[in-house]
Amino acid sequence: MKITPVKLWRRQKKVSSQIGKKGKIIAWTIIRIPSKEFTSQAPYPVIIASLESKEKMILQLVDWKMEDLKIGREIMTVLRRLFTEDGGDGIIHYVIKGKPL
Amino acid sequence: MKINILGGATTKFGELWSISPRTLANEAMDGALKQSKIKSSQIDALFVGNMLAGILGNQANTASLFAEELGVQIPAFRLEGACASGGLALHNAINSLKAGAYKTVMVLGVEKMTDHNSDDVTTALMSAGSDEERTSGATFPGLYALMARAYMQEYGITEEILASVSVKNHFHGSFNPKAQFKSIITVGDVMRSGKIADPLKLLDCSPISDGAAAVVITSDSVLARRLPKPILITASEVATDTLSLYDRKSFTTLSAVVTASQKAYENAGIKPQDIDAAEIHDCFSIAEAMAVEDLGFSKKGQGAKDISENKYTLGKGKIISNPSGGLKACGHPVGATGIKQIIEITEQLRGVAGKRQVKNAKIGLTHNVGGTGTVAAVHILEA
Repeated sequence: MKITPVKLWRRQKKVSSQIGKKGKIIAWTIIRIPSKEFTSQAPYPVIIASLESKEKMILQLVDWKMEDLKIGREIMTVLRRLFTEDGGDGIIHYVIKGKPL
Repeated sequence: MKINILGGATTKFGELWSISPRTLANEAMDGALKQSKIKSSQIDALFVGNMLAGILGNQANTASLFAEELGVQIPAFRLEGACASGGLALHNAINSLKAGAYKTVMVLGVEKMTDHNSDDVTTALMSAGSDEERTSGATFPGLYALMARAYMQEYGITEEILASVSVKNHFHGSFNPKAQFKSIITVGDVMRSGKIADPLKLLDCSPISDGAAAVVITSDSVLARRLPKPILITASEVATDTLSLYDRKSFTTLSAVVTASQKAYENAGIKPQDIDAAEIHDCFSIAEAMAVEDLGFSKKGQGAKDISENKYTLGKGKIISNPSGGLKACGHPVGATGIKQIIEITEQLRGVAGKRQVKNAKIGLTHNVGGTGTVAAVHILEA
């Protein structure tokens, strides 16, 4: 998954408005066989959250424990690094992830 | 205008390391010509369903490549709609006949996946998802696992009930000489298999496969009359949905499948219960459970239970689902799947499916899905 600096710059414009939103898990899984770039992070949960703002988001869940993985669990959106390594362009990629409250 | 299937052929599906994409395509197209009793010079155009050649093999321009392999210089087109690429190629081929542009065309589905490691294939398949899904770290098994989680929660379904989908399809695949897996498995085998994306385990998931399938269709009634048992395509419908799963109203129904199938039944003038045999896109066990509901065979929430109660099993059920073994047991070379489904139903309706023959099959359906239900192609075939 190559993310060019231009694409990253375009995406960052909306990232700040997505931080700090609260919501609940409405579906979850644990990814055990990931795409290539996520190999060092596996296993990790991916959730769909229904936010108080009425939006839905698909998010990687961070700072999690097994007991957090249940439908209805409250979460908050946070800014985190996308990969543990940079994308090869010397730019660190940040995205919105979910964190249990 | 009547759209007739003249003939079709499928290569063996599986890990075919010694066979190149060109050879795979050649074998399928050659078989289709022989089945149809025509020469390549009688083909007016070629439609190719392929998803990954450009990403994994660095080979775009595949329509011209495979026309060259067919030995003709004719109009050739590649259609891409993730795992529904084959179904989309067929739909466009049918439309070209209906428009009167061509009379007899070849539709080829082909994919070469096992040359590459599973990380690369998983990444390549995610090109069918959205940016948001990719940056969340989701995979296709993961996205279907999210559907499975929602389905299990909504309808009180257990992992064991879902596992029965794979058990049925391996049972059917055991009768198919071209299937990637001919082994019979149990619910316990599925439950003990390694987790891929909870609650989906390895044996809930269709495999990574190589394979090709080709079919010849015509609007030429003179050509069609030479056939002992002509097979008609009486409906071909395609519908789409949002690229992302997460933003849909429901995760337990695929609206593209509902829309395409309802239009197809209407065009063919039949009801879901008139179907005798259906090839269903069981990329994951949850996909077939939802599909038998979305296609109108089972009530909502009842699909997985009906499958576990053998209502779709060869020799036991009324509508037989995936007599070929489906994607799970027959294999899933993504661009080829939609065409393989057509060939399987054609063989069923001609009564030449051998040990996996559905008794007295007169009407069949194929259900080919791309992405998380982002696109669906539904075809109805009649003897």
